[in-house]
This record gives sequence, C-alpha cells and structure tokens, in this order.
Amino acid sequence: MAGKGMRCLSEAMRGLSLGAPTCRTVPVRTAPLISRRSMATEAPVSNITRSVAEQWTPITTVPVTVHAFPTLEPRSLETYSAKHLYLPLRRDILHLAVVYEGDNTRQGTAQAKTRWEVAGSHRKVRPQKGSGRARVGTKQSPIQRGGGKSHGPRNRDFGTSLNRKVYDLAWRTALSYRYRRGELIVTEDGLDLPLPEDFLQQAQDGLLTRELEDAFIQKYVGEMLGAMQWGKAHGRTTFITGDERMNLFTAMEVAGENGTALQLQDVDVKDLLETGRIVMERSVLKEMIRQHRSDLVSSIVVPGMKHLKEPALGTVLYPLPKSPVA
Amino acid sequence: MPPRLPFAQAAQCCRRALEVPPKQPSLVSLFAALSVQTRSASILASLSDNKGAYHKRIRRGRGASSGYGKTAGRGMKGTKARNKVNPWFQGGQTPLIFKHGQKGFVNHRAPVMAELNLDRVQAWIDAGRLDPTRTITPRELVRAGLVGIKDGIKLLARGKNEIKTPIDIVVSRASAAAILAVEAAGGKITTRYYTKAAIKNLVSGKSVHTDKPLPFGPEHVESVLQQARTSRKHFYRLPDPTSRWDIEYYRDPAHRGYLSHTLKTGESPSLYFKVPGEKPLMGKRSKKTADASEERLF
Repeated sequence: MAGKGMRCLSEAMRGLSLGAPTCRTVPVRTAPLISRRSMATEAPVSNITRSVAEQWTPITTVPVTVHAFPTLEPRSLETYSAKHLYLPLRRDILHLAVVYEGDNTRQGTAQAKTRWEVAGSHRKVRPQKGSGRARVGTKQSPIQRGGGKSHGPRNRDFGTSLNRKVYDLAWRTALSYRYRRGELIVTEDGLDLPLPEDFLQQAQDGLLTRELEDAFIQKYVGEMLGAMQWGKAHGRTTFITGDERMNLFTAMEVAGENGTALQLQDVDVKDLLETGRIVMERSVLKEMIRQHRSDLVSSIVVPGMKHLKEPALGTVLYPLPKSPVA
Repeated sequence: MPPRLPFAQAAQCCRRALEVPPKQPSLVSLFAALSVQTRSASILASLSDNKGAYHKRIRRGRGASSGYGKTAGRGMKGTKARNKVNPWFQGGQTPLIFKHGQKGFVNHRAPVMAELNLDRVQAWIDAGRLDPTRTITPRELVRAGLVGIKDGIKLLARGKNEIKTPIDIVVSRASAAAILAVEAAGGKITTRYYTKAAIKNLVSGKSVHTDKPLPFGPEHVESVLQQARTSRKHFYRLPDPTSRWDIEYYRDPAHRGYLSHTLKTGESPSLYFKVPGEKPLMGKRSKKTADASEERLF
C-alpha cells in the first residue's frame, strides 16, 4: 500500500512540474536493462537466487526530498551516502546508545546523613546502668529516632562509557531507521509554526488572557497536526531545529500531547526513536551527521598517507546550482 | 505517511518520465498518497543487546535460590572451604622452593625491544601509511604508528612471504629470517644501535638519523668543529654501543650491523677471539728476545 501511495505521489509531483525534471536530472541507479526487459518467449526467471552473471551493485546514495513546512511542497532533492542514511538496523547498537544515554542522564543526587553527619552532641543519652531501660550511647545511632541512616543513598555518578565510534554509528542507524520507514521529514531551513495573523495581533494587543491563548494554540496545533496525520493519534511528532523558534517551541510546549520541539543540541538517540516521525531542518540533518561520523573519518594523520575519502554530506541534485529556478 | 521518494520508486518514476508521456494526476490519487497510514509503535521497547553480550556476575553467598548460597560453591568443611592453599604447598613436605631455592632471575635492565613484523610493514605500505621510497628509520616507524617508543625495534619475520616491496630499513635488531626475507624482496636492511632517548630525539626531530658511527680520531676534529660553528640548530648525535655484547652484535655482518665495515678481512666480530698469527699476543716480546741475545754470555 505504501508503495502504491508513493507512486501516486510521484505522479502528483510530476503534475506539479517539479517531479519530471527532477527525475530526469537524478542519476538514480536503475536495474540493468536485461533484467528489466521481458519477452513473450522468455522463460520466467526465478528470483530466489540471483544469476551469477548479474552484477551486484549495492546502493551507495539515497535521495532526500526537502519540503516546505507546513505545505510539504517538495522544494529540492539531495542525496546522502548510504553510510549516512541507509545503514542496516542494528538493535544492539541502538540499545547500547539508549542505555548509555539513560545512565548518563541519571542525576545520582540522593544523599542521606550517616550517624557521623547528623548534627548534635555525642553525649551519652542516659547512664549505662540503673535506669531500667535499654543501654544507649549517642542519639545519632541508626536505631534512634532522628538518628543517622545506615547504608543510605549517597551521591554518585551512574554514568557509563560507550566507544565514540559505536555511539556515532547509533546516531546514523537511528536516522537510517527513520529514513527507511519514511518517518524522517526534512524541511527547508527556518522551520517554524505559522500562527494566524489575527490571533497574533490580538495576543500582541493584550486582548487574550494566558488561558485563552493556550487553549487556542492547543486546539490549533491539534487540528493542524491531526489533519496532517502527525498528531496524537499517529504517534506524535518531534520537530528539531537549529536554534529556538518562538512560535514552534511555545506551541509544542502547550500542545505537548501532539509532539515535541527540540534544539539540535538537546537531541539524543532516544529522542530520534521515540515519536511517530522526526521533522528536521535541512541544516540540522547535515550538522547531525557531521557531528556523528567518527567511524567514517580517520583521525590518523600521517604525512603522505592516502586518506580514505569520506562520503559527501548531502549533494544537492535539484534545483541545479547556477540555474534559474522556475 | 509523509511524502518521500524512496530510491526504488524514484527509479521507476525516472524510467516512466523518460518513456511515457506524463499524465495529469487526479486529485484522488494525490490525497490517497497522503492518507497512507502506518501503525506508530516505538522501536524503543524492542531494543536489546546481542545474545551472549552480557555475562551476569555470579553473586556467591546471596541465598539458596541462587545455587551458590550456603557454601558458595566451596563444598563442605575443610581447608579449601575456609581459606586458600598456596600453589607451592606440597602437603607438608618441604616444598621445592624452600628445598632448592629460587632459580634464575629477571633482568630488569635488559633492553626491551618493540617487536615489528614484516606483514605489518607490508600492510602499512599497502595502506599508504609508510613511504617505501625513502629509508625507513625508527622515526618513520614510530610516526606511522607501527611501533611505540621502547629501547629499540626488532624486526621479526612473521608474514615473511607477504613482503613484496623492496624497502630500505634501519632497525635495532633483526631476525635472520627477516633479513633473508627483506633482501629476497630486493630490499636493504641495516641494524643500528639506539637507546630510548635516541629514538625519542629522532621522533621529535632533535636528532638527525645516520647509519654511520660517531667520527673518531684527530682527522675528524676540524670538520666536526666547523659544522658545529656553522649550523644554527643543535642536534643531538646518535650514540654508539659501549657494551661488549652490543659492539659485537653491530660488528657482525650476519646481523647487517652498521659497524660491520670496521671488520678487517678474516676478522671475527668477537672482541675476545683474535685472528691467529696476525699480531703477537704480547707486543714487546720480540724486542726483549733481541735484547736477551745481546746480553748472552755464551
């Protein structure tokens, strides 16, 4: 069903006179001509095993469409390396990364006073003998009310370590997972939520109370995301921007049941895996991959060494550079 | 489902655009594309590490249900249940270690060599991390990350069939098979005396590498002084061996030692065994015998 939907959409895009030129300019790898051609006399070829003669050419790049928000009109087409956005799903690596982040997020600030830390005099509470009651030394003893806590919690660091290359691989694996499921939506830079003009005007004039404003935004965002099938019923949406966007961040805070908005610096691997889809700016995707590619880029510098060429970070295919955009 | 062009569809779309004249899309199909639903279930719940990646630590003496509770796997009463038995204990009989004492010793002052094997050298050359067109000295080896800085570098012959590139290499020591392999590939090998400080100086550029020993004798004084006066930067000179074992090692042509050119024809690299007949054992004996003949009475 998804495939059919995609085809429909590509036809729709062609109708918008954006799809067709895009497709012509895109050097997307197609199957060899021989395997595509079908003749009436041809015996049906089993696709269980691949012919030895047929060359195996793995995918090296994958396309990424950059959309306008919130219209989702396709604006440009870029390609990313398969090592950036088409990695196989490694649940173990994602698990390591999520656990590592969780460990390092723990505050570890629980502290109870031991008998040596509880304030007060260490005078003997009552005489050793003759009182008819139990013998007792100091009132800080753990068995006394108001005494210290034995084996109580202490401040500690729960943080664990993870090899940087493994962690970076987890980032790109998470992005690849989202990309493959079609849950990675890339928008143009300057992603923000457009709010109605009259509402903004009224809010600026002070005609609306805080409650009214929040109620309006909550309803507006809920209906908008609901119509896009991005809302609560469809697993919420995470918006990621380079810096804070006033409308978007306020709105998502108010309408938190429909999603979240995060700055790039606040994003973890877990955030990439949590909600139904990730919406991020083009520059955010680029920067995110750029920050997490230590396993692709060699840190060894030897004079005269032949460095392995790292894959390019997002090559723009459409619109073509230095060409007038219609 | 958000609009995205997966590569497979992009390929189809590309082919169609070239082959078939484009049709006008209906609005229905446009909305159908936007209304494809997917079930949103987070992957977070199904993440786990690979099977066998974790080994859970056995917690001994923590309850009967653990299986290592009461006796903690130590069995019933006895010495082994209570404390450990020394490995040298022989049941009360005087142990060998006390009967005969310690044998041998560990020489803490022995030079520790960084071991370098030929397959690694070839791999580094293949990866472009080592330049085979120039002389490979400890400086190059350390800077390429092949070895660390120790008292020296010894070349060993693991992967001797893999070495194909002719190389010119200078190391502290080399095994006989390694020498054979390097020279069979058309290369050249020299062994030279280094110390840890010398290798450090070479790596940091405070010394200039040479496979010549220090100049010795009055005829060299003038040229060395002249060079010291003219050169602006001071370079530490590489040391020569002083111990008998080292001198003998580097005098030996079998080791491709850098002092082997000092050997005369027929001379042994050993400093103890002299070539017979070349030089009398005591220098003045012939003179004394001459004097004795003059003072002879009869």
